[in-house]
Amino acid sequence: MSVARGVDGSPVAGGRAATASAGGGLWPVSAALAHRAYLGMVRIPATIIPTIVMPVFFVLAFGGAFGALTQLPGFPTDNILNWMAPFAILQGASFAGLGAAFNAGRDLENGFYDRLLLAPARRLSLATGPLLYSTARSLFPMCTVLPVALVGGARLVGGVAGLAVLAFAAAGTALLAGLWGLGVVWRLRTQRSTALVQIGLFAVLFLSVGQVPLEAMEGTWLEVVARYNPFTAVLDMARAGFLGPVGWSDVLPGVAAIAGGVVLLGWFAQRGFATFDK
Amino acid sequence: MNEPILVEGLSRRFGDLEAVSGVDLTVADGEVFGFLGPNGAGKSTTVRMLTTLLRPTGGRAVVAGYDVVRQADAVRRSIGVALQDAAIDPLMTGHELLRLQATLHGIGRSEARRKGDELLARVGLSAAGDRRVGTYSGGMRRRLDLALSLVHEPAVLFLDEPTTGLDPMSRIALWEEVRRLNTERGTTVFLTTQYLEEADQLAGRIAIIDHGRIVRQGTPTVLKAEVGAPTLVLTVDAAHREQARALLCERFGAERPAARPDDLAIGLAGGAAEVTAVVRALDELGATLEHLELSQPTLDDVFAEATGRRLEGAEGGAADGSTTDDGAATDGADDRDELAGERG
Amino acid sequence: MSTAASVAVLSRRSVIGTARQPATWMPGLFFPLLIAAVNSAALTRATGLPGFPDVQSFLQFLLPATLIQGVLFGGIVGGADTALDIQNGFFERLLASPVRRSAILVGRLAGAAALGGVQALVFVAIFVVFGATIEGGLAAVAVLVVVGMILAVAVGGVASAIGLRTGSQEAVQNSFPLIFVLLFVSSAFFPTELMSGWYQTAAQANPLSWLIDAARDLVVVGFTWNQALAAVGWSVVLAVVGIAVALLALRRRLRVAS
Repeated sequence: MSVARGVDGSPVAGGRAATASAGGGLWPVSAALAHRAYLGMVRIPATIIPTIVMPVFFVLAFGGAFGALTQLPGFPTDNILNWMAPFAILQGASFAGLGAAFNAGRDLENGFYDRLLLAPARRLSLATGPLLYSTARSLFPMCTVLPVALVGGARLVGGVAGLAVLAFAAAGTALLAGLWGLGVVWRLRTQRSTALVQIGLFAVLFLSVGQVPLEAMEGTWLEVVARYNPFTAVLDMARAGFLGPVGWSDVLPGVAAIAGGVVLLGWFAQRGFATFDK
Repeated sequence: MNEPILVEGLSRRFGDLEAVSGVDLTVADGEVFGFLGPNGAGKSTTVRMLTTLLRPTGGRAVVAGYDVVRQADAVRRSIGVALQDAAIDPLMTGHELLRLQATLHGIGRSEARRKGDELLARVGLSAAGDRRVGTYSGGMRRRLDLALSLVHEPAVLFLDEPTTGLDPMSRIALWEEVRRLNTERGTTVFLTTQYLEEADQLAGRIAIIDHGRIVRQGTPTVLKAEVGAPTLVLTVDAAHREQARALLCERFGAERPAARPDDLAIGLAGGAAEVTAVVRALDELGATLEHLELSQPTLDDVFAEATGRRLEGAEGGAADGSTTDDGAATDGADDRDELAGERG
Repeated sequence: MSTAASVAVLSRRSVIGTARQPATWMPGLFFPLLIAAVNSAALTRATGLPGFPDVQSFLQFLLPATLIQGVLFGGIVGGADTALDIQNGFFERLLASPVRRSAILVGRLAGAAALGGVQALVFVAIFVVFGATIEGGLAAVAVLVVVGMILAVAVGGVASAIGLRTGSQEAVQNSFPLIFVLLFVSSAFFPTELMSGWYQTAAQANPLSWLIDAARDLVVVGFTWNQALAAVGWSVVLAVVGIAVALLALRRRLRVAS
């Protein structure tokens, strides 16, 4: 049997322990994966459209088509943009989360994911990396929608606090959407499965107070669903600054909904990742 | 010294299909081990199990001294893997991919840069390092994939069909590189291939897998010697073919699968000295000899003897009806089906 | 093979191809229905706003818009299939076969029309089950089905044109949001009377509004020949445009291919 020797003639295996890889840490690998997602975006700029152009269209369309809704009894503002801008921003944020799932689906289909799964890095970083990027990207729709809404007459009367809770709600939405998306894609492992992710996001977003407040849908089935949809609390938080001074009672239910969602969807995603070890 | 790869009774079942059943293998330190088989034979499934990407449903495998199931992370630290189809992000540059790969292995920034430059130079891609991988040719991608798998200087390297779909020049360049790795660094290489020539060129020892089972294992020289007699391939006119077949089998040796349906192939038990006797016998039969060829045993003969089929060189169908040759011939397209089946 | 037979075979193929891939047509059924369900509840009070047309319910108001939305989304699928045919070479094989070249397009569009008609019936049935009345009766339903078929041809033509031009399935699917824009800046989801400013101007200038308003009258007011002809007429205009761009794109593609 031909057992090769090193150049100096000694068995090479002696050096094996010394050359074994240390394995990437949670933070460096997460940052590297977030950076890769960033490169993917700047090199195919069209992928920015869902998080930047779509929300602007949403706010224009919902604002333009449904402007008369503010005349409904119980509508808390007389400018529809105060109501629709936060909704459009959270929609854009959910697309940022969807992006994480979309990229994972593509990598799983073309085999790049094998490279990540073969790495002796912390497995958690395969979630934290893309989610880190999605969460950061959730700020994009704010940057485009807010100016448009302000020009249209929306007023962020809650000031800095209002801006802060809006940003927090957007980041939370992106994170939850990303966890949901990764949980689905890790199980189904195709890019096509992101259609399912989208349907879920769409349902949660719209079966809420997205378009009109609970008072306006009194007596309908939607009122019941929207009342118990945790996303309603997140929307309330995002809108607080547009409807008046921000108080803790506007914010705490939303924070609780995001925290609860992270635990629940985190568990869902983790179970999805566990299918790789079957 | 422990063997870098030790496999006992390794099996993998997908629903009702047993893709790999009871594989036993030992790969010695510093060896290039060739894992040979047609598409769908279980090569990729085996590699995915050995590299921790897929859980075995039976048996065990120890790679670099660690159990692939219980110590998967330690295995990942010790191995380098270049998977089939070189999955590399077309939007990233060679340098960026190397940096990412280094980070995945916990290599610091400056060290990663030094290593990246060194590895790109090694595989001849220095000039292309800042270009997006999407602009690379097939051969360049494979070489980059090889460089990526070496970032952490692994003791054991897995190459899954490293040259499938490559042109002959790129193939030879990649062979050179693998050889160099093995002799200079003593890296143990586990190489799957569907090309007999590749196994013959590179591997010190080979195993042939067919329908999920190992059917032969040993050094190419020994395996060829076991086949023994050289193969005599001849073409006679159709009218006398059956008579000729009976006569040859009776007097000169056992029939072997022929690459073309019109050919007769036998293992010439008495060696080259018998050729004149064969010609004389056919002449007495009144058969017209259209073509005659004597070849020393090749890995293809080993394969044919083990499986009853030819892996290569089959033009217009193989000796028996259950051919696998179509897919094995040139491209790797069918391999994706194999992989897809494994994932599903 | 005669042209008619080619068309039959090719349209059959396009219908079967679509039916076999629920993942491609499900969203076209699901999203319009979800939007209708949500909006009919969320905007139920809006029907009481001053200036809102006299309707039985917001659901009834939405019927024509939902139907058209479903048909438009569905038509995209057909165009995406054309692009897929080009991507994987089926188109080249068709060109090499003795099939009349226009039959390729007509087959695709005939398939789209059949699907559009089925879709229209499905939407009408679902809305009626959920309590929407159709004041124009069966005659109105017949017009809606015809509109669905013609409109499917229109959007199928445009989508095929994009598919023929780009040969990329993704490019066709990316035109999805464009249809959304067209629908939103129209009377589809809310009466233009209640809009204001430039948005109202744009919505009132959108031919889809004219089509939708006519179809809506058949549903919420009753059947009149005037509105029936208007609905069918505007669909035909859109279909002519759709077929024209598709033919142009096909000629271009043939020049490139030959």
